[in-house]
Amino acid sequence: MPRYRYPTIPESEVTPRELFHQRRRLLKRGVVLSAAAMLPGSLLMPDTALAWQATLDDKLEGDLPRRGLAGDEALTPRDDATSYNNFYELGTRKSDPDVYAHKLITDPWSLTIDGEVDTPGTLALEDVLSRESLEERIYRLRCVEAWSMVIPWIGFPLADLLKRHGPTSRAKYVRFESIFDPDNLRGQRSSILDWPYREGLRLDEAMHPLTLMAVGMYGEAMPNQNGAPIRLVVPWKYGFKSIKSVVRITLTEERPTSAWMEQNPDEYGFFANVNPEVDHPRWSQARERRIGERGKRETLMFNGYADEVAGLYAGMDLQKHL
Amino acid sequence: MPMTSQGRILAFRLLVLAVGSLPALWLAGQWWCGDLGVVPEEAVVHLTGRTGLILLLTTIAFSPAFRLTGWVGIMIARRQMGLWAFAWLVAHMLAWMGLEQYWDWPWIAREMVELPYVRYGAAALLLLVPLALTSFKYTQKAMGFTAWHWLHRLIYVSAALGVIHFWILTRADYRLPSLAAAALVALTLFRLMDAVIHRR
Repeated sequence: MPRYRYPTIPESEVTPRELFHQRRRLLKRGVVLSAAAMLPGSLLMPDTALAWQATLDDKLEGDLPRRGLAGDEALTPRDDATSYNNFYELGTRKSDPDVYAHKLITDPWSLTIDGEVDTPGTLALEDVLSRESLEERIYRLRCVEAWSMVIPWIGFPLADLLKRHGPTSRAKYVRFESIFDPDNLRGQRSSILDWPYREGLRLDEAMHPLTLMAVGMYGEAMPNQNGAPIRLVVPWKYGFKSIKSVVRITLTEERPTSAWMEQNPDEYGFFANVNPEVDHPRWSQARERRIGERGKRETLMFNGYADEVAGLYAGMDLQKHL
Repeated sequence: MPMTSQGRILAFRLLVLAVGSLPALWLAGQWWCGDLGVVPEEAVVHLTGRTGLILLLTTIAFSPAFRLTGWVGIMIARRQMGLWAFAWLVAHMLAWMGLEQYWDWPWIAREMVELPYVRYGAAALLLLVPLALTSFKYTQKAMGFTAWHWLHRLIYVSAALGVIHFWILTRADYRLPSLAAAALVALTLFRLMDAVIHRR
């Protein structure tokens, strides 16, 4: 009797992983759409079928309080701010995050708050959004690579979120963790950084009124390439501190490390405050290219927020604590 | 119909012309159409530098290619390739001065003094100047073949400085600078082995 041969499937007939996932997402979307088709036309709201997007859209429709904190400097054109990005999860070229934005899957999204807090928990993003009041803040954004933008963020103070969970007396630092999804995020399949991306702040920095959890910009929901659906914005620090697509916030007693500190401890410190007097070991930080402008601008101490934040570092040698 | 020897040399020289000049046409077209991204100035600085380094390594590769094939056309076109590499690196320097520094001479001077990557890049280009100046047939004869050859080995030093310059500037993705470094090491090893074998 001939031995049974297990049928071999040629490589060419195996569905690529990406298509497979896409198919499941399309099916899911199809279910949502056919359910929506049974509703009266007035209730049809394409692209808002997901819970947190509906919650966010409701909030964005209201009149949000607006605070301009970038002097009289012009806003960076939205198109520039959404197509010149550092988001290595989506690729290392500046144009990659825009091109591969669809690879960041943001639904559903939940946020875990744990560690040294009285009430830890994991919340669906819509529940986080519904309990916070949003506002618009216009901030400068200064990248460690010596370019900058002026962006109208929409978000809420991180302090509001942290207070709800009650930091314990042992909480000294805040650790942030971003999404880990190497199946979809091409950058996470290479070892340029130790994934997932992580960042950290001292508790007083995290509680500072300028420190924002942003969920939108330019009046709309956060584009994927800018760190959807929820990201940190710390305007007086180099941009890499403002971690994108946050899934977990942990309060700690010990100082956390960050993905960039691990990649190159000599070049990326824990504080990473914008400081024109301390150069990056390889390039100057004295000036910056404002995206959309010709020529260079002088970089401001603490990115122009010295009046608000210099007190946090009183007595610290800023040449040493980088 | 088989090409004549002269015809093949001409065809190869035209190929070198295309390799040296077409990237410039492409770059000009991209600039014109606004396809160089949000900061076209930065794109021009990067692309001229990368093209210059690739063409410099290509020039170095001409010598082993000749050793392996024995075809004289390669050596005839080498000077042309080297001058294209030089032209791209001069363009790279001018792009850095005009599109990165906006002709701010005090800052250009300051960054040349203070920043290692600028120093390495400037040194790499400076080393190529005597090579470009002595690349003509009559200077080669006037200098004498041996002296000329020794001088033109500076291309290895220049390329090494160029790779270091590129390496320092890279932030996280080292694929391209690694490739350039590996190519230079391989080409240098080939040249050294060839010298040992032929005692030259």
